[in-house]
Amino acid sequence: MKVSFPYMGTTIVYKKLLELLGHEVVMPPKPSQYTINLGVKYSPEFACFPLKVITGSYIEAAELGAEVIVTSGGHGPCRAGFYEQVHRRILEEKGFNVDFIVFNSMFRDFKQFFANMMMLKGTNSWFKIAQSLLMVYDMIKKLDILEKRVQELRAYELKKGETTKAWEQIQIGFDKASSKKDLQQAFNNGEVLLNQIKTFNIYDKDRIRIGIVGEIYVVMESSINMKMEELLGNLGAEVERSQYLSEWVAYNALPGFMNRTHEVEILKKGEPYIPINIGGHAKQTVGHIVDYSQRGFDGVIHLMPFGCLPELVSQSIVPKISQALDIPVLTLSIDEQSGTANSLTRVEAFMDLIKGKRMKKIS
Amino acid sequence: MKIGIPRSLLYYYYYPLWKTYFEELGIEVVSTPATSKKIIDMGIKHSVPELCVPIKIYIGHLLKLIEDGVDYIYVPRFVSILKGQYFCPKFMGLPDMIRHSFEGIEDKMIIPTIESKNENIAEYKNFKIFEEKLGISTKANKKAIAKARRVWESFKNYCHLGYSANEASDLALGKIIETGTLPAKASVTIGVVGYVYNLYDSYISMDIIKKLREMDVSVKTFEMIKEDVLNQKLQNMSKNLFWTFSDKLIAAGYTFYDDANIDGLIHVTAFGCGPDSMLGKLLELDSPVYEKPFMTIRVDEHSGENHLQTRIEAFVDMIKRKKIKARRGA
Repeated sequence: MKVSFPYMGTTIVYKKLLELLGHEVVMPPKPSQYTINLGVKYSPEFACFPLKVITGSYIEAAELGAEVIVTSGGHGPCRAGFYEQVHRRILEEKGFNVDFIVFNSMFRDFKQFFANMMMLKGTNSWFKIAQSLLMVYDMIKKLDILEKRVQELRAYELKKGETTKAWEQIQIGFDKASSKKDLQQAFNNGEVLLNQIKTFNIYDKDRIRIGIVGEIYVVMESSINMKMEELLGNLGAEVERSQYLSEWVAYNALPGFMNRTHEVEILKKGEPYIPINIGGHAKQTVGHIVDYSQRGFDGVIHLMPFGCLPELVSQSIVPKISQALDIPVLTLSIDEQSGTANSLTRVEAFMDLIKGKRMKKIS
Repeated sequence: MKIGIPRSLLYYYYYPLWKTYFEELGIEVVSTPATSKKIIDMGIKHSVPELCVPIKIYIGHLLKLIEDGVDYIYVPRFVSILKGQYFCPKFMGLPDMIRHSFEGIEDKMIIPTIESKNENIAEYKNFKIFEEKLGISTKANKKAIAKARRVWESFKNYCHLGYSANEASDLALGKIIETGTLPAKASVTIGVVGYVYNLYDSYISMDIIKKLREMDVSVKTFEMIKEDVLNQKLQNMSKNLFWTFSDKLIAAGYTFYDDANIDGLIHVTAFGCGPDSMLGKLLELDSPVYEKPFMTIRVDEHSGENHLQTRIEAFVDMIKRKKIKARRGA
């Protein structure tokens, strides 16, 4: 069974999990202009941007011979819960014979969840499954630790682009790992790689820290958000994202009563602005902005796909939070019209504003 | 005491209920005039550009109410009116958008959360908030709710008879009397798929229903179909859309496709409507399967009445010709 999946963030993780379970993985290519064009051509015109990119990436995967696509589902109220239904129809219309395995929340429909598990499980033993899951979770956590360092280091590297290169090498290293020992080795190698990067010294008080918040897909997938993290890093800012894969997994895999993850705290911070969960990541977005301001960040970049329903609500509230907490927020709405120069100028101006604000504070 | 209800969004579906409820309690209900250029412009000016037109219009109406000077504005937070189903995120976050966008408006807003088991939202918990806010006794409150419930049921009955929601609303409130004669069966029947706040806001839809009727077309909309028929249609889908009204629309769409009496479908959608982007695509893909013509009309704040006239005329002409051809062939 040739298996594929939507492309988002550090994809080697999903690949590893499926490989460990003995499936042949068709790696979808990293979203490029071609992917976006394909997606835009076949998706509904007013669908949100992630749907279009994923459509393109599914078509590419199907052309490479993928037979089954594993993805996550949902039950609203955000449109993401309905993606798979639309994708199914689009691929059918295009003449591809692709099956979908959709993981909805196991707390809602355990039977379906279990059936999906059985399909993916194949002839593996449950022990093997548990082992693979734990190993992949370990891998995600290790990768996230390194990635956070990368996001910090990038701002101070002497040779531009060195950190990004190292990060790519680290991912390749992890991709090759197939046992627990290998993972540790890859992690150690990664640390060595990062330690070798020459940086200039900076006083603690001069550090500029920017948070990136928003809808998970555009925040996590660098190829469609104009490499926002790199861009900010190169402009001399440390970056932290609101979403990391390890946190997402921990939050979604644990039932409510024992969920003590960071995300629960974030949601609480968003409560005064959006009291109920309105789907997507609107409440998290708002909560994260509050969190970043409390932790003394200098600014926040808010990324959203064009026309994203929940993020429009948070976008309407952002000006008020920004004013109340005195933290600059720049909202960028992302779609297939990637005017890189436009965004670059806006981000540069945003950075200048932050630096200017700082100078004013000192003098 | 004056309470304001903006003439927008679910006003077109729940106005009989709300009006009866408040008047039963002796509260004067003030609603805004029909959407005008001025109201739309106010809304556009004070909202995020990417928002859909209906929400912008809602904000416009709300600002108009404040201008007019009411004591309270009723801005319910619609969460769910069916188990496991929700409203569009913009509906759920609407009160938050408003109260955080305008300084000092929060004291004037009454924001009950609407969560009920079925469409008839006249349930005690949805209206409990008024006891404290307006100083009403529980007994009077319950009595008003019961009356509102009955009026809304009669509104639904009129809808099922084939009256449009606007007419049904007037009938239920006793503003007009039933003439006994529904629009006679016309030569062409078209199913119009669209939300109440798009179809019946004559500024957004440019009175598409009236225009169609003038062309000797009888019109069917989703609220004219009985609940259980719609629910049955949904059961055939492997996964339903989880927005209540979108679900109704798609079920209505498939009912129209299956109904031999209906000759074609028109989907009226507002620019930037998220749920519609999905259901529109599904209906469009299914149009060749059922061999029925399907047209999408996307409306926004730019009103261009002529293009609409031309397009629906062409659509109706096409259907008429198709029918003549079929008759000749037979």
